[in-house]
Amino acid sequence: MPAMDGPSLPEEFGDLQPYLEWALEPERARTEKRVASSMAEIRDFYDTVQPRLEAMIRYLEDFRDDPMPAPAHRLYLISLSLVEVANLVELYKRKEVFEGCDPLRYASDQ
Amino acid sequence: MAMKTKLREKQWVEKYPDVGTEPLPTEPYLSQKRFALERDLVFRRSWINVGRVDEIPGIGDYFVRDIAICQASILVVRGSDGIVRAFHNVCSHRSNTLVLDERGTCPGRLNCHFHNWVYSDTGELLWVPDEENFFDLDKRDHGLTPVNMDIWEGFVFVHLDPEPAQTLQSYLGGVADQLAGCPFDKMPLSQTYRVEERANWKIGLDAQNELYHFPFQHRHVAGDAFRTNDKHQSRYQDLRLYNYHSVWSCEYGESHKLTPIASTLYKFDGILRAFTIPQMIGEMDFFTVFPNFVILLYQLGTSTSYLTYHFWPLAVDRTIWEIRVYFREPLSVRERIRQEYFKCISRDTLQEDTAMHEAVHSGLASRAKPHIILQDNEIAIRHFHRVMEDRIGAGLPT
Repeated sequence: MPAMDGPSLPEEFGDLQPYLEWALEPERARTEKRVASSMAEIRDFYDTVQPRLEAMIRYLEDFRDDPMPAPAHRLYLISLSLVEVANLVELYKRKEVFEGCDPLRYASDQ
Repeated sequence: MAMKTKLREKQWVEKYPDVGTEPLPTEPYLSQKRFALERDLVFRRSWINVGRVDEIPGIGDYFVRDIAICQASILVVRGSDGIVRAFHNVCSHRSNTLVLDERGTCPGRLNCHFHNWVYSDTGELLWVPDEENFFDLDKRDHGLTPVNMDIWEGFVFVHLDPEPAQTLQSYLGGVADQLAGCPFDKMPLSQTYRVEERANWKIGLDAQNELYHFPFQHRHVAGDAFRTNDKHQSRYQDLRLYNYHSVWSCEYGESHKLTPIASTLYKFDGILRAFTIPQMIGEMDFFTVFPNFVILLYQLGTSTSYLTYHFWPLAVDRTIWEIRVYFREPLSVRERIRQEYFKCISRDTLQEDTAMHEAVHSGLASRAKPHIILQDNEIAIRHFHRVMEDRIGAGLPT
């Protein structure tokens, strides 16, 4: 019987369980999480999840023609949060876009 | 699609000498009088894109688009006969705004919430409560007020002049020729952003309408994204100026380094089918459709996608920059995440742009400089302002 103590990720990705709070939708919620997190939190999230991205994609490809089970869908949302913060870690090396406006001004309608 | 144009100096003014080389005045970005002329002679007398037919695929589907500079609210609805029509979103009784939602589906009828006058989804006035108490009211004379509308490649355009001087096809001219048959309908809308900027609407359009800034302003995210010459300057690799519109094209840089995430997402996954658009000129084509609309086609991996920009003037110093992101239906999870990645890195780049548009407006508003200066690779900006001056100078409808 599955654990009843809250949402989970697929068994193979139990190591990402501490990052479940990044399993957010819609897009706006991921942007808000990025803005609300410290650079240390963002870097920790990236450092753990980025090396797992290839495995995540390979796992998720099996579900692409069906509605994903909830644990797989959470894993998918974590991958979307990873790309949300990608530039901050890989290019900017800081939390803010250089000479940019507040990210929350980019109000998405989803 | 093979361009590899030699990135020569001053080559575009040789091709289009009439566009000129002189500095442009700053006052048109700042003047209230000029803003009123743009409203009356440009926005009221041009074909304005308000969306796509894909937004309203079913009978009774509608969307409402405000053209704020003209204080116009346009209702675009697919009637029960399947035909898409545009109306002023105004009740015939006492001019209340008819539909308040931005989009929706009506059950064959549209009701005004003031006195419940009822219209069909094809615009006829069907029912008036207490009709007997009006004076010689003939419902046939009081349908919704139609707005001239036409559709090109799925894009819905309206014209606020009751008698447009040109058809949409003729107005679009070379843009319509170049993009005829482009499979926009295979690339559904993914996301819309609306950003209110404290800037004149032409500043954002100008800023997007060149590549010169890319290695500098966007150095952190995409400085080497586009092909440059041996002095590391990006150049248009193809440029076409049309009657009112323009397109410039470029190729991606050969030395562009992929980050760890990009390397994973761009990996060949065995099921990718290439999706190319034969109408494209380069690897990225930037079509400016006068006055305020941009179609930006670009390759993304083995696929092709596009963005649209609308610059909606609210006041001489306030604009809504609307960015719509379109992708083909992803064939794999990898492609879906790649699309999301592209959207996120684009959004970061656009944040740099918004800050810049506002900083340019501040600089212009200080009136420290009477002119802006443009180089050859900013010729599309010059062409846009030339068209604008022609329109305002002549006061001619088109």
